[in-house]
Amino acid sequence: MRPASDQAPTVPTVLSALDQVEPRVWKGAMPVQFLYTAGAAGERFFQTLKRKGVFVVTRCEECRLTYLPPRIYCERCFADLSETWREVAPVGKVHTHTLVHVDRQGRNAASPTLVAFVRIDGTDGGLVTRLLEIAPADVRIDMPVELVLAPKRRRRGTLDDIIGFRNRR
Amino acid sequence: MSERVAIVGVGAVVPRPQSRDASHREMIFDAATRAYADAEITHHEIDSFISVAEDIHEGTSITDEYVPDQLGAVLKPVQTIAGDGMQGVAVAFALIRSGIADLVVVEAHCKPSNILRHGDVLEMALDPVYERPLRVHPHYIAGLEMRRYLHDTGTTEDAVASVVNKNRRQALANPAAPYGGNVSTSDVLASPPVCEPLRSLEVSSYADGAVVLALASEERARRCPKPVWIRGIGWASDSPWLARREWSDAVYASLASGMAYQMAGIATPTEEIGFAEIDDTYAYKELQHLEAAGLAPRGRAGALTVAGETRREGRLPVNSSGGSLGMGYCFDASALYRIAEVTRQMRGEAGRAQIANPGSGLVISWRGVPTQTGGALVLGSH
Repeated sequence: MRPASDQAPTVPTVLSALDQVEPRVWKGAMPVQFLYTAGAAGERFFQTLKRKGVFVVTRCEECRLTYLPPRIYCERCFADLSETWREVAPVGKVHTHTLVHVDRQGRNAASPTLVAFVRIDGTDGGLVTRLLEIAPADVRIDMPVELVLAPKRRRRGTLDDIIGFRNRR
Repeated sequence: MSERVAIVGVGAVVPRPQSRDASHREMIFDAATRAYADAEITHHEIDSFISVAEDIHEGTSITDEYVPDQLGAVLKPVQTIAGDGMQGVAVAFALIRSGIADLVVVEAHCKPSNILRHGDVLEMALDPVYERPLRVHPHYIAGLEMRRYLHDTGTTEDAVASVVNKNRRQALANPAAPYGGNVSTSDVLASPPVCEPLRSLEVSSYADGAVVLALASEERARRCPKPVWIRGIGWASDSPWLARREWSDAVYASLASGMAYQMAGIATPTEEIGFAEIDDTYAYKELQHLEAAGLAPRGRAGALTVAGETRREGRLPVNSSGGSLGMGYCFDASALYRIAEVTRQMRGEAGRAQIANPGSGLVISWRGVPTQTGGALVLGSH
């Protein structure tokens, strides 16, 4: 409905010429496409996960920080960590969690998704991931969890190889 | 070179959920016209211009090329900061302190009503290798953070809901706040969950808007009618990786406010800050930011809010404007709306929202999910 002239909308300087018409809109999109690279550290992380089912990390002895996802540099002391690879078991604890009720556009989702940040044992990092095989009300902070990986033949060396984490029995 | 820098002009359009009748350039023109009149300056006198904008929010690439004309900046030095509004103000401050310019304008605007799928914009901000493949709305980061903040501090969901109640009620006294309302804490707690424990009424609604601030050196500011002085400014970014963040603490806000306090010579913020406009993009962020800025002991901001101490008439008024919950969330322009409100309060121009004897005012800004970037500004009346 068009506003009456005495109910001037809030940007009066630009409205006088428009008070007889509904403003038109022009619809458009930014159809840009990209390639992304995981880098040397990311490649090693995903290839090791795919082949051996464990996590690769890097370690800065100076800062006593273990990076997962691994990085070839320390974000604190800026040291080169490209010779500090280690492997850790794919187990950790739920650091925090949330039950997501909206879809990717913010509309009500058909079913909620249980998402957690899992701190991986022996590291100062972790992963955002889905929690599996558990009722949302049963999730607890610091609950021990373990990785659920796609079957070996279906792993592609990407984050999608990680199906989620589940309660550690 | 000027040791001191003042905000000498403020102009803002009223934020609103839709603005099809005005282009973003026209909204900026409107805000600029108001700001220059407020400072009693003309665009000819302005030495340098800064816009705060991001291509993906505009739907055009190299969006900075579209800045000059609506600010009166054609044939003048112009630059664009794709960051938090406070970072734009920091650049203006530096230009004046370094003697490059005496009168600088900072502009920020947003038109979320033009963005058909903002979820896509936020998702594109996530790390493409480790985070984006999860294919979940990025509000989940706020849900994760809120859960851990409540867990570590013992803050209750009631206390978070009381932030919404306070800010939307305070917005009723601000004619520039479209989301004013009487929303009870039980209304908030009964609103649909977004990313539990985060609920829909705890998420600020979008608004279109534009703000222009004029900053001046001390000598230039003395010729303007209503200077408000910048006592200190700070900004900081924590690690961008979700894997390395603290989740319960707003470390960036501690660092930014520490930098601003040091510049201002403030040792005890609880004694020297009279009121604050604090990022409340999500209701829990107001509590987290208050604690990060040293205005409440860790884990106490919620109880202070429930006790009414952060109301307009309380001991430490917070978001007397209504904040983003009451005025609408304006992306990186939110920082400039907060600064505009503090300036108005210090001039005694806040009308029914006016705080009695406001003292020095603090602004804490945040760049939103998934960032760990924020800013702080301390303003004083002399």
